[in-house]
Amino acid sequence: MNRAVLGLFLRKELRDVRSNRQLWPAYLLLPAVAVGLPVLLLGLLPLLADPVQAARDPGIAILIESVSHDAGLSGATLAERIARLVLRDFGMFYLLIGVVLASSAAALALVREKEQRTLEPILATPLRDRDLLLAKLVAAVVPALVVAWGSLLAGSLAGALAGRWRTGAWILPTAGNWVAWLLLAPALASVAALIALRASARFTDVPGATQFTGLVVVPLALVLVVLLGRPAMASPAVGGLGALGVSLLALALFAGNLRRFRREEILTRWR
Amino acid sequence: MIEAEGLSKSFEGRPAIAGLTFRVPEGQTCALLGPNGAGKTTTVRVLLGLLQPSAGRARVADCELPASDAVGARLRAQAGLLTEAPGCYDRMSGRENLELFGRLYGLDGAALRTGVEHWLRRLELWEARDRAFGTWSKGMKQRLALIRAVLHQPRVLFLDEPTAGLDPAGAREVRDLIAEFRREGRTILLCTHNLSEAEALADLVGILRQRLLAFGSPASLRAAPTGLVVQLAGQPDRVAEGLRALPVVRQCAQHGDGLQLILEDVRRDTPGVVREIVRQGGEVLAVRPAGDSLEEVYLRAVREDPA
Repeated sequence: MNRAVLGLFLRKELRDVRSNRQLWPAYLLLPAVAVGLPVLLLGLLPLLADPVQAARDPGIAILIESVSHDAGLSGATLAERIARLVLRDFGMFYLLIGVVLASSAAALALVREKEQRTLEPILATPLRDRDLLLAKLVAAVVPALVVAWGSLLAGSLAGALAGRWRTGAWILPTAGNWVAWLLLAPALASVAALIALRASARFTDVPGATQFTGLVVVPLALVLVVLLGRPAMASPAVGGLGALGVSLLALALFAGNLRRFRREEILTRWR
Repeated sequence: MIEAEGLSKSFEGRPAIAGLTFRVPEGQTCALLGPNGAGKTTTVRVLLGLLQPSAGRARVADCELPASDAVGARLRAQAGLLTEAPGCYDRMSGRENLELFGRLYGLDGAALRTGVEHWLRRLELWEARDRAFGTWSKGMKQRLALIRAVLHQPRVLFLDEPTAGLDPAGAREVRDLIAEFRREGRTILLCTHNLSEAEALADLVGILRQRLLAFGSPASLRAAPTGLVVQLAGQPDRVAEGLRALPVVRQCAQHGDGLQLILEDVRRDTPGVVREIVRQGGEVLAVRPAGDSLEEVYLRAVREDPA
């Protein structure tokens, strides 16, 4: 593996994000939601933990019922238990940030080079297939994880402060949260990015690649996030096993991408 | 050196190039001429290992084709490519573009910095070095792409339409640079539509239309002279009449104040024909042998090709 090449592409992609204002909304909106939404939900805590409201609203009644029976939630009061549930489940959003940003960047990785007509000069360099694919993967996943982890730090801090304000207790991320965020998030982002990268190699236009990613890759990854995220947040062991399984899937996808990588197809194939 | 033997490439059964066999010795320049869609770019891509040949083999800079990923990488490290479009990143400056590609070609540190500065100054792009590439003029972009192709000192250069779309001054500058690469002993494959460019720069010329219709030095491709162009000081019609009566003159056509003659044997018959013109009172200003120009050779080859 050529680390210099990885760094080179990473810097190039970061420069591109910095100078391309069209990309900024995605990189700003998701972190804003990550910080704002838990504060908003915890702001509504008195309403959610109110038995009078529960009598009127079946949704609130179900919420109160479920936190009462969830062994993974500790807390002296009902409000504290609901706050812990909100913050635990909201943790999946940080997994989603990595998936969405990494797959969006990977979807553009090759097709945008085709559109700018920079792909042929890149393919004409001594760069090996493996290094090119890895560089494109790293350049898509690393910025996405930086944003996701930055968002989770800010969001966790905001959630802890909002929880303290509403319940009087410090509600901090659990061990399950950390395992999911630190191990499962990179694996899920890599899987989504690898599928999007394959699409990017086959499509010849940016809208086609981004539509495919938005309509197929992200929803599929979302299913994985929901299926694995919730149990992972509840149990570090499950989270660790899930991360291992998804990492193996990512390795298999990378090997498959490498086997199917054809400079010829990328240069000449029309969809 | 570039060597191709029966090199073919088809896309979904449709041949793009078929059975190309040619050899460009080390340090020589070969121009590939051909109409649009003749397979020039495909030939370059196959020879650079970017496309796998459907049949045949080639050898470029001591690397055999078809090549594995590792051999392909070794070949590409010794070759430079100028694509038809400049293909640099619009949002990066000219210098950043060169530094990026230079690193991909394995250059680093002082060698990269001095190489970039040397070439940017030499091609008068130094002042614009930190401006975004997207804001540059077409000629400047083409010159930067040319620098990218030679920055790593390749043994073999593939130049696809290097002067396409450039103004005459820009085209001249690029041609001068190619001539310099040729003097430096690089092996160059030049794809062009510009026949005078091919004639001026190439040691070898190939006329391509899926197949190689002709290949050789420009001189060998041009047919031996078969006639004369005679420029006279007025009244060529009277002289023409007399010349047509000569048995050695097969054809005599009048063009302005000159005559174009086709003779049985130019070397043998020229002195007699000139004597006859003078005898008839013609005032001869200039006489030069006339043969097929490269343009005529090219047009005939392309026209006569059944494809």
